[in-house]
Amino acid sequence: MELFFQQLINGLTIGTIYALIALGYTMVYGIIQLINFAHGEVFMVGAYIGLTVILVFGFAAGASLPAALLYLLVILLISMIVCGLLGVLIDQVAYRPIRNSPRLVALISAIGVSFVLQNAVMLIYGPMDKGIPQIFPDIKFIFGEVTLTLMQLIIMAVSLVLMIFLNFLVQKTQIGRAMRATAQDHKMARLVGINVNRIISLTFFIGSSMAAVGGVLFGLYYHTINFHDGYLAGLKAFTAAVLGGIGNIPGAMVGGILIGLAEGLGAGYISSEWKNVFAFVILILVLLFKPTGLFGERVSDRA
Amino acid sequence: MRNFRILFFIPLAAIIAFSGCGKKEPVIKIGVSAPFTGDQASIGLTILNGTKLAVDQANAKGEIIPGYKLELVPIDDQHNPTQAVTAAKKFVSDPEVLGVVGHLNSSCTKPASQIYHNGRLVQITPASTNPDISKQGYDTFFRVCATDDLQGPKAAQFAFNELGARNIYVIDDKTTYGKGLADEFKKAFEKLGGKVLGRQGITQGDKDFTPLLTKIRPLNPDLIFYGGIFPEASLLIKQSKDLNIKAPLMAGDGIFDMTLINLATPQAAEGTYATMIGTDVKSMPQAREFVQSYEEKFGPIGSYSAYSFDAANILIDAIRQAGTTNREKVVEVLKSGKTFPGLLGQTEFDANGDTKNKIVSVFRVKDGKWEHVRTV
Repeated sequence: MELFFQQLINGLTIGTIYALIALGYTMVYGIIQLINFAHGEVFMVGAYIGLTVILVFGFAAGASLPAALLYLLVILLISMIVCGLLGVLIDQVAYRPIRNSPRLVALISAIGVSFVLQNAVMLIYGPMDKGIPQIFPDIKFIFGEVTLTLMQLIIMAVSLVLMIFLNFLVQKTQIGRAMRATAQDHKMARLVGINVNRIISLTFFIGSSMAAVGGVLFGLYYHTINFHDGYLAGLKAFTAAVLGGIGNIPGAMVGGILIGLAEGLGAGYISSEWKNVFAFVILILVLLFKPTGLFGERVSDRA
Repeated sequence: MRNFRILFFIPLAAIIAFSGCGKKEPVIKIGVSAPFTGDQASIGLTILNGTKLAVDQANAKGEIIPGYKLELVPIDDQHNPTQAVTAAKKFVSDPEVLGVVGHLNSSCTKPASQIYHNGRLVQITPASTNPDISKQGYDTFFRVCATDDLQGPKAAQFAFNELGARNIYVIDDKTTYGKGLADEFKKAFEKLGGKVLGRQGITQGDKDFTPLLTKIRPLNPDLIFYGGIFPEASLLIKQSKDLNIKAPLMAGDGIFDMTLINLATPQAAEGTYATMIGTDVKSMPQAREFVQSYEEKFGPIGSYSAYSFDAANILIDAIRQAGTTNREKVVEVLKSGKTFPGLLGQTEFDANGDTKNKIVSVFRVKDGKWEHVRTV
């Protein structure tokens, strides 16, 4: 039983990171029906920005807990802003000019952006794995046989807060209403006075900044980052978005956590050799039996 | 727009037009291939640098065959077998290439060795330790390091006798090298009377090993043996410490690199063991000059710096003795059973192309550094 709880914690930690990335996929899909395959790369850039901030500000290990939390806040904010702007830029450069072309065109453009970002990061930061210094003190909470590290707790807490905030933003605010309206119908949204292009940019900004948070937490958790790390994490987050029902925000959160749990429990109880297979088996099963995903209410096919 | 396109073609046409002109100096090319980018680049680059140093020194001494200068041709194989085969084909198809130093990973060396064999091109690996590679019957294949059928049992003996480990867990990365080494270790450890509690594979490039380590923890092993390379090993170490696993990790030459300690953090890496296919180069008096000129040029000496330096020098020596630019002659010199002096001592190849000078030593992480424990 202790083993089960430990696997649960392991799965939840990585699952919340997948959920943060999945939000970007699902929000962008919801609003312009585009699978933004460059999103995984934005996540990776987020981790690198986090590393840069740590090095530039000289955030060192061995700081007290409140100081470390302050560091984290600074890192997250800078990384969110940079990646948010990057997301908006990607949209302006690669997607907006072909907004009215067939969907496949934008998809290919997205893959192109993904290559550009990967190689740009490789040229700037070098091709090797980059170690990320540990900024949090090495605190562990031990309950019998179950250990929870401070970092795991922080990952879950930060993700939870952000998801609640995002849900509030989309459901309860004026901006959120405009986003939902744009998602339903661009033309109608424009008729009632919504600046659709600005809403799309905003969606890219929010989605990318969520990925940036995921990237920073991922880097701090594993202490190492590489320019091709965005690929697999991005694919798994995409799976999470599809599992939850692409276009559906709570779906992406639940999907991410479920993918993390499936991986943790699958690798723990079945075999670690097949760890990456579990997520993609789920993807295939969802596409075969419930293409709308867990929370997807409609098959949107109006483009 | 049309004008711009013309502008683009002018330099292209110029390159094509002029590339044929100008009398080129005759050269002998030496190929070198290993992962120069990606997560394993830090050890792959030690192969490039060691080879480069040997080629530069040989050129500084003068022409090895009258009229010819040596030229190094590096190709990155990204520790990807497909890329390694592509690199091998490129080397083979260039008649000026007379030999290759490479590759790092056994999974790359093995498929590439067939291409070299078909092209009659000498290949000397400074690092690939899988024993099966030399048993394929390719007479163009040579190796200056020890193999895993020696490294595995030596590691097992050290773990059983010196560390007193009785119950262990074995993990590997499913590659030719990792799986091969883990197999050899497991076989020898069980023969000694030790117990292997379990065996699991992981995937290269994966970052999260906590599910597997969580499964291992209640088994309470004395030691975890890992067959694989440092990027995954560093995460295994860090995550096992986070999960409060007391057992140290032991692995082969693939983790013997400073990057392991940096990525895993020095605190977590403390007490990690690695076997190395050779000896402590820094402690050897005959290597002092090499270490000095290497570190002046490329920074601290790395895992395969000395092995690739030796491999390259043996290759250069063989070309010199062959005295022609005929590939077949170079193969013959190396096959002849001659001995080649080098940093690692006298290298003499057996019928399979393996060196007879096989040494394995054990290193341990102490105070954030690799410390030579002893030669086994």
